[in-house]
Amino acid sequence: MSELQIIDLPVAGMTCASCVNRIERYVGRVDGVSEASVNLAAERARVAFDPTRTTVGALHHAVEAAGYRVVDGVAPDDLDRRRATEQEALRRRWVASLVLGLAMMALMLLPLGLDQRALRPILLLTATVVQVWAGATFYRAAWRAATHLSATMDTLVAVGTSVAFGYSAFVTLWPAAVVTLGLPDEVYFESSIIIVALVLLGRWLEARAKQQTGSAVRALMGLRPTTARVIRNGVEFDAAVDEVRVGDRVRIRPGDRIPVDGVVAEGSSAVDESMLTGESLPVEKAPGDEIIGATINRSGSFVFEARRVGTDTALAQIVRLVTDAQGSKSPVQRLADRVAEIFVPLVLGLAGLTFIGWLVLGPSASFALTNAIAVLIIACPCALGLATPTALMVAAGKAAEHGILISGGEALEVARSLGTVILDKTGTLTVGRPAVVSVAPIGGFDGSELIRLAAGAEVGSEHPLGTAVVRHARENGIEPPPSSAFTATAGSGVAAQVDDHSVLVGTAEHVGAHGDATTLADGVALAGATPLLVAVDGAVAGVLGVADTIRPEAAEAVGQLRALGLGVWMLTGDRRATAAAVAERVGIDADHVIAEVRPDAKAAAVRAQRATGLVAMVGDGINDAPALAEADLGIAIGTGSDVALAASDVTLVGADLRGIVTAIGLARRTGSVVRQGLAWAFGYNILLIPVAMGLLYPAFGILLNPILAAAAMAMSSVSVVTNALRLRGFEPPASARAILHPSPAARLADVGYLVAIGAAALVLGGAALVLANPAHGTTDAGASVQRSDRQ
Amino acid sequence: MSDKAVVIDPVCGMEVDLHAAQDDHRVAEYHGTTYAFCGRGCLLEFADDPERFLDPDYQPSM
Repeated sequence: MSELQIIDLPVAGMTCASCVNRIERYVGRVDGVSEASVNLAAERARVAFDPTRTTVGALHHAVEAAGYRVVDGVAPDDLDRRRATEQEALRRRWVASLVLGLAMMALMLLPLGLDQRALRPILLLTATVVQVWAGATFYRAAWRAATHLSATMDTLVAVGTSVAFGYSAFVTLWPAAVVTLGLPDEVYFESSIIIVALVLLGRWLEARAKQQTGSAVRALMGLRPTTARVIRNGVEFDAAVDEVRVGDRVRIRPGDRIPVDGVVAEGSSAVDESMLTGESLPVEKAPGDEIIGATINRSGSFVFEARRVGTDTALAQIVRLVTDAQGSKSPVQRLADRVAEIFVPLVLGLAGLTFIGWLVLGPSASFALTNAIAVLIIACPCALGLATPTALMVAAGKAAEHGILISGGEALEVARSLGTVILDKTGTLTVGRPAVVSVAPIGGFDGSELIRLAAGAEVGSEHPLGTAVVRHARENGIEPPPSSAFTATAGSGVAAQVDDHSVLVGTAEHVGAHGDATTLADGVALAGATPLLVAVDGAVAGVLGVADTIRPEAAEAVGQLRALGLGVWMLTGDRRATAAAVAERVGIDADHVIAEVRPDAKAAAVRAQRATGLVAMVGDGINDAPALAEADLGIAIGTGSDVALAASDVTLVGADLRGIVTAIGLARRTGSVVRQGLAWAFGYNILLIPVAMGLLYPAFGILLNPILAAAAMAMSSVSVVTNALRLRGFEPPASARAILHPSPAARLADVGYLVAIGAAALVLGGAALVLANPAHGTTDAGASVQRSDRQ
Repeated sequence: MSDKAVVIDPVCGMEVDLHAAQDDHRVAEYHGTTYAFCGRGCLLEFADDPERFLDPDYQPSM
């Protein structure tokens, strides 16, 4: 038996003795709580609980579920505020360091006729402040890494700038010693400060990019209304959104924002879902239709039943997925981390080698020192660390904009290298809900009058076939007339009095059909639809065909998937003939149809496909969940079951199948952006480290000095980050044609961006070289070729 | 209408100012009647089982 823990929770909002009872009851019901006593006057709840069976968080939830607040809870936006403060501090540091660094450089380089030696104590003072204040983050991080016997990018920056700063301080404080030891009489204060400034600038840019996706999440959170009009046990009241429970009815008036997810119970309306699905047209909602929280009701009023509340809502999941994606590491990112682990000690070694090598072989100790510092600075793999996270963050935010939830970096990696996409039929390629597909009047009866009367008879029906007829009428602008004397006979049909006509809708036997009417009905059945016969005043007036309809965008989506070079398959439990008819209409090859598969065999069918490469499974139902989990990438249609959503890696919030194409397209773009970034960062390091080491010096006289190295390094970080930010301009492909034949402009933009930024870097670098080289480096090192300054 | 309309909270029996309760969303409709409550707890308690508190035999807990 583990020990009981006793905690005092400060509770706000209590007004009377029943509040006390209510909180005691709610908290006492939590598993693991042995006693809860609430003091109204002290506004405290004392709880004794078993810490192995429950948490303080669960107790907070219980108090909140009872309708009260625990006072000392940490507000979620505290984190945001702290980040904003950190970012502001970072900005102050890099701006101040850069301004001071540039000013020092100007003082030392421009011919102002000042006595350089007299200036040094002032420079030392300023540089010390900057080194300690702005550079503190590097020292702290480097120290933390050192205690774990590892080295990070911070180690490089800390060592590099400390060497430059320390040497300069020595020269300033003990000029006599410098002369006796024969060391170069030079200071590098401005170098170390500018390096610190540029690295901080890179960090600041990274923090800003993170904050931008963070603000996307906040914008999503802001979509949630704070109150809801709840009807519970016949009691109607305004509730805070957190108080809404599953099973509550929620009343929605025109213009209201929908508070939680649910299903329409009464009334109908058009709902704007653009904020979640990207679909701009309002969606018609009638009883039985799914309603998603955070969407906006347009014109009508309705009541819906809450099905998902709190952290289970689609909106809460979007927010969580976007946040998770920001924190998750993709396989590429883990590789980059491992590389950095080897890379940093290697660079430290190379810098040491450079220093010793040039000390022995080179013109002066100054020369050796400058080059060693340049190596340390140029090698800083900041860009390497930035490439993947920035791209993933932007991609996850972009995907959410299009109503696609991606569970993390790994899902994106898989999505870009898919070989096969398997689509479930019912509910995925089809709407999964019957609709009127054919109207055949008999005996000169008017088609719209037929629909009007049939809809009038069915208006009170709860049968899916009946609601299909009513919806069909409304969609065609026909309002079902009022009816009376409605009766429904299970399995056969309905009867009602509509506009003084006696109307029967149902099976052939129900309406007493024979002859032509039954032939027509048989034809409808052969085409794969359910025939509904309509009789008006005793005579058969027509036959309606009702069937599950193919989603309007299904054929286009399949065409686009094939254009992406993917094998597209259909998987269904349905009969082979029906499956083949659907496959033909959406453009899936007959030999790519797997029909008559029992639900429990769907996962096995997916496994068989995995032999040929990475497989994505798209589905919506509970019976698809094992197949979704079995696939390398499970894609769930968002209006589907919770189980399917839980088993998936990607969720399409809207039911638009083109979301699959968008997700794969975005994954491919993200993948190429990550790889471009990594190639850029690695290439730059591999190329410039030997230059910084001075390997080109003997032959060509080319060297990198530390300032130039710092500028180049910052430039590489900036180019990697801005390249990733280009993903924000991602647009889903408009058609299969657009995928197969991308516009030349789009192709050019892709390559052109890196070429342009490379050119800009070269120009800047060239200018810096001209400016910086007369100060330290080649010329002055060349002038002091005497003997080595070793002791 | 007077400035202060005092009604009784059906759950705890306390006197509640109806207007203040309305401003505060501490009111509920049930079978066409408006009830006001001293706080959210009483309101939620009422919504869980309205008939229990409307029963003439019910004794408020304070």
